[in-house]
Amino acid sequence: MNAPTVRAQRLSPLARFVLVVLAWLPVTFAAWYFAAPILLWPAALLSDWVAQLGFADLVRAVEQTGPIVAFTTTLRPGQSVAGGIVTVDVNMLLYSFGLPLFAALTIAARERRRLRTLAIGYAVLVPAVAWGVVADFLKNIAITAPAQVASQTGFVAWQREAIAFAFQFGSLILPAVAPAIVWVLMHRGFLEQMRRIPYR
Amino acid sequence: MIRFFILFIVLLVLMFGIELTPIAQRWFVEPWTSTLARVSASLVTEFDPGVVSAGKVLRSTGNGFAVSIEAGCNGVEATIVLIAAMLAFPAPWKHRLAGLAAGIAAVQGLNIIRVISLFYLGQWNRDVFEWAHLYVWQALIMLDVLIVWLIWVRTLPRVGDSGEPPPPTSAAPATA
Repeated sequence: MNAPTVRAQRLSPLARFVLVVLAWLPVTFAAWYFAAPILLWPAALLSDWVAQLGFADLVRAVEQTGPIVAFTTTLRPGQSVAGGIVTVDVNMLLYSFGLPLFAALTIAARERRRLRTLAIGYAVLVPAVAWGVVADFLKNIAITAPAQVASQTGFVAWQREAIAFAFQFGSLILPAVAPAIVWVLMHRGFLEQMRRIPYR
Repeated sequence: MIRFFILFIVLLVLMFGIELTPIAQRWFVEPWTSTLARVSASLVTEFDPGVVSAGKVLRSTGNGFAVSIEAGCNGVEATIVLIAAMLAFPAPWKHRLAGLAAGIAAVQGLNIIRVISLFYLGQWNRDVFEWAHLYVWQALIMLDVLIVWLIWVRTLPRVGDSGEPPPPTSAAPATA
């Protein structure tokens, strides 16, 4: 047995797991970044559906270009701009960086049926990405837009508060926490093995 | 596990909602962020004296480059996630408090490294800064929270460690 193997075996399972996650992160990040237009297409589609269903009077069209989703609204930028309409671009990468984290964690756990786990995790995380995208769009038109634009949305005070909370939650908490939650829920066996006793 | 998951979500939303209130922002988040900037500046000045902090801003006196520590980069949200995870998981309070103290220190320690690294990355290359800031460090901080939580879970007393005898069972052991 050579020296590196002996050293590797001295590491705890958790330390080995962390090292493998860190080794996989650059790979999964690169794959996520270059495949983003395809990987995030379902999130763009879901965002389109939610926008058209929930805010049909505000949204005229939703189009994806690479990782960017462009919302074309029915809102006018102001009286000084004749015939203009407000469009909002949202970068989906901002809300999907948890995908490469989830992939690295799943690969490093070395559980059986990893591809199935990756597919299920991806399907569960897509709505979290869509949440961030739609909340970002709503924040743009209802809160950060100029008053003459925001007033056209018709949102009342409590709705603006709800949009602000949804945006903060969808940008500060959900993108990072969702992959960790999904990974924990899908790797209970791995965690039990780590802890060496069953969960109570 | 389902109980843990539901409790975790409830605590997370509750604490995050409290964090967003003007009172919490004024009396906790803003002073915390200023302290983070001061600590980062004091660490950096050990090897780079041309760095000062003002409020939540870390600034180079040499080239004028500055970073402002905003929500999401002050480690408050990551700490909230860790607190929610430790409170939701069944554990003795003694272990919870010890875990919270060590865990918060670990998360904030890595967050200081994040702030300092972004400060220098921004002076070197704006594209790399944006990538590290928006994607990589966000994932690394959450990975840190997850690792801290996993380590804490491993240190919890196992069934039977309390010295109490195992509960009597009338059922025959299962056999394969």
